[in-house]
Amino acid sequence: MKPHHIAAAFPLLFATAAQSAEFTWASTTDPQTMDPHAVNSTPVLGFLNNVYEGLVRRGKDMGLEPSLASRWEPMDGGAGWRFHLREGVRFHDGAEFTAEDVLFSWRRASSTDSDTASWFAPVADMRAPDPYTVEILTTAPNPIFPDSIANWMIMDSGWAAANGAETPAKDGETFATLNANGTGPFRLTERQPGLRSVLEPNTDWWEQADHNLTRATFTPIQNPATAVAALLSGDIDMINPVPIQDAARLEQSPGVRLIRGTETRVIMLGFDQSSEQLLSGDGANPFRDVRVRRAVAMAVNVSAILQTIMRGSAEPAAQLVPDGIRGHSALYAARPPFDPAAARALLGEAGYPDGFAFDLKCPNDRYLNDASVCQAVVSMLAQIGLTATLDAMPVRNYWPELRADNFDMYLLGWSPGTFDAEHPLRFLAHTPTDTLGTWNFGGYSNARIDALLPQIQSEIDETTRQAMLDETAKILQDEVAYVPLYVQPLLWGARDGVELTQRPDDFFMLRWVRVDD
Amino acid sequence: MLAYILRRVFQSALVLLVVGLVAFSMFRFVGDPVDNMLGQERTQADIERLRDTLGLDDPFPVQYWNFLGNAVQGNFGVSYRQGRPVSEILIERAPATLELAAVSGVLALTFGIGLGVFTAIRRDGFAANAIMTLSLVGVSLPTFLIGILLIYLFSVELGWLPSFGRGEVVQFGGWSTGFLTESGLKALILPSITLGLYQMTLIMRLVRSEMLEVLRTDYIRFARARGLSERAVNFRHALKNTMVPVITVTGLQLGSIIAFAIITETVFQWPGVGLLFINAIQFVDIPVMAAYLMLISVMFVGINLIVDLLYVMIDPRLRGDPAKGH
Repeated sequence: MKPHHIAAAFPLLFATAAQSAEFTWASTTDPQTMDPHAVNSTPVLGFLNNVYEGLVRRGKDMGLEPSLASRWEPMDGGAGWRFHLREGVRFHDGAEFTAEDVLFSWRRASSTDSDTASWFAPVADMRAPDPYTVEILTTAPNPIFPDSIANWMIMDSGWAAANGAETPAKDGETFATLNANGTGPFRLTERQPGLRSVLEPNTDWWEQADHNLTRATFTPIQNPATAVAALLSGDIDMINPVPIQDAARLEQSPGVRLIRGTETRVIMLGFDQSSEQLLSGDGANPFRDVRVRRAVAMAVNVSAILQTIMRGSAEPAAQLVPDGIRGHSALYAARPPFDPAAARALLGEAGYPDGFAFDLKCPNDRYLNDASVCQAVVSMLAQIGLTATLDAMPVRNYWPELRADNFDMYLLGWSPGTFDAEHPLRFLAHTPTDTLGTWNFGGYSNARIDALLPQIQSEIDETTRQAMLDETAKILQDEVAYVPLYVQPLLWGARDGVELTQRPDDFFMLRWVRVDD
Repeated sequence: MLAYILRRVFQSALVLLVVGLVAFSMFRFVGDPVDNMLGQERTQADIERLRDTLGLDDPFPVQYWNFLGNAVQGNFGVSYRQGRPVSEILIERAPATLELAAVSGVLALTFGIGLGVFTAIRRDGFAANAIMTLSLVGVSLPTFLIGILLIYLFSVELGWLPSFGRGEVVQFGGWSTGFLTESGLKALILPSITLGLYQMTLIMRLVRSEMLEVLRTDYIRFARARGLSERAVNFRHALKNTMVPVITVTGLQLGSIIAFAIITETVFQWPGVGLLFINAIQFVDIPVMAAYLMLISVMFVGINLIVDLLYVMIDPRLRGDPAKGH
C-alpha cells in the first residue's frame, strides 16, 4: 500500500472509533414524562436515574450507596436521619447543588400533584442547618427510610422556578415534562415523546465515569418481534425485554447474547377471603377455609410451570418477597410440596370432596406469559376437582375488576419498591384501610400482622426486626394468605461487544455500559 | 344543486356526531386510565380525586358533550399519557403517516395500473399468470405477517434496509419530512410496500378486469381495424376508458390507507398517528382516542362527500330537479 493511503486511512479509523461508543437501546414503553416526581413507574424512574440523582442510590447488587449525600446517620433517639451533602456538585445547567434543592425537591415530590408522595408519608419535617446538611425528621423511628428514597431525585430549585415547573403535573404539561436538568452522569439533549430520547455524557459529573459512551439514544419499540429483528439486524444495541418465546432463538443467534436474571417481582395467586359467597352466588365461599387455600397451594405444580411456560428462566417463590430482598425470611423459604393426593384429602376434610366451581381472574398483558400461567393453574386445579372458569383480560380492565371485587381467585405480581419485606406487608397483608392494605383485594386480615407492621416500621434493631418479619412470613404461610408461585424472570438482549449490568429492579443504568469493537 | 349539497353536508355532520357518540359510549369498555396514571403506592383517595378531575365518573353523553364543546374551539384536551395537548401531538405525528400513505398510494397506483394493463394485454402469458397468482398473496396475507417477513428478509438476513423507524428527518416549520435524507428514504421502502400491497393488488385486479372488458368492445375493434398502433389502442383508448372506476376506488382507498396504517405503523414502529392510537388504547388515553377517531371519521366523511359531489358534476341525471323531469 502506498504511504499516502495509510495517511488517509487514519482519520477514518478515528472516526469509527468515536462512532462505536454511540449506543442505541430499545424498550417496549416510552417513559411518559421527564419529570422525576410526576409518575412513579419503572420506565420513568429507570430512564431518569441516568439523568437525575438522589441523596442515595443503588449499586450493581442493589446495595445502598452514597450519591448526592456522601454520608448519612440516624439522629439521636430515632428522630430522623441526617444527610451530609456532597460539595461542589453542579446541575447540568451549571447551577450549584445545595441543601435548598433538597428541601425544594421534597416539597415538590410530596405535593398532591406528585405520584411519589407516599415515600414521604413518614416525614414530619425537613430542615437544612447549613447548605450541605439536611435533617429529615420522621414521625416515628424509621430504620428503612434511606432505602425508601433511592429513587427520590433532586431537581434544581432555581431551574424549576425559572421555567415555571415548581409543581409536577399529572394531567398536564410543565417545562419539566420534556426537559431535564439533573446532576447525573448523562444530560438529556433531545426528547421526542414516543420517538426518541438522546442522552450525552455529563463531562462535569462528580464521579469518574465507568462507561465509554459518547451518546446514547433510546427508542421505544412496542412490537416485541420488531425489537428482536432490530437487535438481530444490528440497528439496536440492546433490547429490554426479550419475549420468553424468542429467548432460546436469540441465545443461538450469532452476534447477540441473552442476559438472564430475575426481577424482584413475585407472581402469586390471591383469594377472595372476605365475601360470604362465591361470585356465582352458589354456596358459601370455600376460600375462607384455610384448608381449601392450602389445597390450592399444594395442587399447583410450580416447577412444571417454570419448565414449560417460563422455559427455565424463573425461580420458585415461597414468600411475598424473593431471596436477596432485605427482610426475606430464611426460615420459611420452602414452598408447600406439590401433592395432589394430599390436596384432595384437604378438600375432603373441608367438606368439598367433589370440589367446586369458581371464577379465576387474570391479566393477559401485565406479567410475562400471565394468561398461559393461569391456564396451567386451571388445568392443575382440575386435577383435584376444582373447576376454575378463567377470565383473562388486558390490565387496563383488570384492576377495575379487582377493585370491584369481581373475582374468587386472581393473579397478582408484586415488586417491593423499597426492596424491603415490609413493603408487601403494608400493601398486600395488612387489613384494607384507606391508606394500608390498598392492594389487598381479597380482604385478607390477621390482627397479629396488623399489630406487627407498625413495630416493624419503627424497629431500629436488625435482629428484633428480622424476628418480627420471620413471624409475619410464618403467619402468611400458615394461613396461605397468598400462594406465591415464582419470581418473574428478567430477559434482556444485547449485541456482542456490549458490556452491561442487569439490576433486579429492571433499571438500565448507562453508567455501567461499555461498548467495544 | 345547492339544496343537494346542503343536504349532503348536513347528513355528513350527522354521521360525525353519531360516530363520536358511539366512540364515547365505548370508551368505558376500553378500561380505566387511572391505574396507568397512578403508581403502585396510590390510595383509594388518590384514585377518586383523579377520576373526579378527569370527569371519568360523568355519564358518557356528558363527557361527549364536554369534548364537543372544547373540540369546536379547537381544543382536544390533554393526553393522559404524555400530559401534552392532543392537537400538538397529532400535528407532530401527522406528517409521518401522511408521507407513508402518499408513498404507498403512489406505489399502489403505479404498479397496480402498470401490472393491471400488462396482465390484461398478455392475458395468457406465463408472466401475467405468475403475477396474478402472486397477487393472491397480497390480498390474502395479513399486513402484520407481510411486514414481519419483509423485515426478516431485508433487514435481518440481507441487512439492506432499516428494521424500524423513520430514519433521519428534516424539519420544515411544523412539518417533518423523511424525503430529503438517505436514511429517511430507505426507511420508507418496507413500510410503504407493506401498507400499499393490498391496495396495489386491488387496483391491479380492477384495472385488469376493466381492461379486458373494454378490449372486447366494438370501438377497440374498429380502432384496430383502422390500423392504429397497438400502443395507441391499448393506452390512448382502452386504458383511458378504464380509469373512471379506478379513480373512484382509489379515492376511497386513500382514506383506508391512512386509517389502516395502524398495523403497519405498529410493526415498523413508524411514528405516525396510527401508532399513537395503538398507544392510546393500551393506556386508555381517552382524549387521544377521541381526537383520532373524530379525525379519521372527518376524513372518511369528507372523502365521501367530495366523491358524491363529483358524481353530481359528472352525472347530469343526479343534478336536475326531479319535479321538472327530463
